[in-house]
Amino acid sequence: MSLAVDDAAWASAWRGRAPGDKVLLCGGLVGCALLLPAWPGSVLVVLAVVGLALGPARVPARTFARAIRWPLAFIAVGAITSVVAVSTDGIGWAPDAVERGGSLVGHALAGSAAVLLLATTTPVSDLLPALRRARVPAAVVEVASLVYRLLFVLLDSLRTIREAQAARMGHSSLRRSYRSSGVLAAAVLTRSWDRARRLQEGLACRGFDGGLRVLPEVLPSSRIFQAASVAGLGALVATSVLVR
Amino acid sequence: MHIAEGFLPAAHAIGWTVAAAPFVAHGARAVVREVRENPESTLLLGAAGAFTFVLSAIKLPSVTGSSSHPTGTGPGAILFRPPVMALLGTVVLLFQALLLAHGGLTTLGANAFAFAVVGPWAGYAAYRLVRAAGAGLLPAVFAGVALADLATYGTTSLQLALAFPDASTGLAGALVKFLGVFALTQVPLAIGEGLLGVLLFRVLTVNARPELERLGILRPEPAATPGGAA
Repeated sequence: MSLAVDDAAWASAWRGRAPGDKVLLCGGLVGCALLLPAWPGSVLVVLAVVGLALGPARVPARTFARAIRWPLAFIAVGAITSVVAVSTDGIGWAPDAVERGGSLVGHALAGSAAVLLLATTTPVSDLLPALRRARVPAAVVEVASLVYRLLFVLLDSLRTIREAQAARMGHSSLRRSYRSSGVLAAAVLTRSWDRARRLQEGLACRGFDGGLRVLPEVLPSSRIFQAASVAGLGALVATSVLVR
Repeated sequence: MHIAEGFLPAAHAIGWTVAAAPFVAHGARAVVREVRENPESTLLLGAAGAFTFVLSAIKLPSVTGSSSHPTGTGPGAILFRPPVMALLGTVVLLFQALLLAHGGLTTLGANAFAFAVVGPWAGYAAYRLVRAAGAGLLPAVFAGVALADLATYGTTSLQLALAFPDASTGLAGALVKFLGVFALTQVPLAIGEGLLGVLLFRVLTVNARPELERLGILRPEPAATPGGAA
């Protein structure tokens, strides 16, 4: 079983670019989304992200649109709740509801889009070595790497067992559905333990001493990409300040 | 219910990251120590993290006909203890942000504080208290898992209320608003996740008793008396 965002990251036209270059660009965009005024800053960030994702990075529009739906649901509920005023007279809109709500939606939508640009162009396995450079202990990075590799195996188990349960009327009523979900969770957990034990036994036969050393893929940085990112971010900040 | 990227003001995002950092660092130290003493634990911890991620992908049936997803940290806190869950929960939140677009990177600290720190500790405390009161494993699991979910949702509501106080009633009014809105989904979800936890542990006591004994959740069964059954 695969995840659409992960698939997009592996298939992206920017897959071969150095993770550091993409972190520079997307981190800058996240910073702009957070710190610049929603108008026009957030609008410019969203336009830049969508242009880059669908243009040079060649992320499928459908994947991008489907992925952004999740944060959108939270942003909509959270923004509406924050601009509703509660008082002894009852419930109404806050005096600055439109401005405050618009600003919240703008910042959050722009920030989420910028993170999604990084997620749909950079596989997690490319980003994890950066944690080691940030002085995160090797043991922690190795556990995180294992989580990434094992979760697809477990998602496969989850889908297979769920299909088998559905084929045997395992979800035909609420009671059966809960029972099936409990059995499903237990089966996935015992399979994860079994998988870990078999991996450990296999590694022990190969002289495992605690370190899961792999040869990382070296992706060269591009000075042109970095310069274009810094120039683009600078132009975005300048436009935002001047237009406002 | 993850706080989306960019939703919190920068000062709040930094503040919650600083608040979560000691717990995550404590969890990281616990993991490093465990791996140094037992190198094979790396694989078990990786499996535990992957299970927590996958548990949050299980669709939980709802009485309204829709479905929702469990947080996954309650069973993890009971099985693997809260310090380990502080780290594994943060890793899972990072992966959810990068693989599912749930949550964010600047809001990772705030989400980690709610999901990976407060939820597991509150759930584990409830589990221990109920067991200390003499109740069996399954009632304690229900209390622990449901409370982990409720504590997570309460903390997220508090984080949002602090960031966006109500215009007239301030923090208290905002907290009531956010608790009220998210209660519609989170209270049924907490009960549903508690039931899921009970069903999960009921199957595990039958199918994975040695693992539960090794994790200290069940006491080892006394050895059968030789010839006693004859």
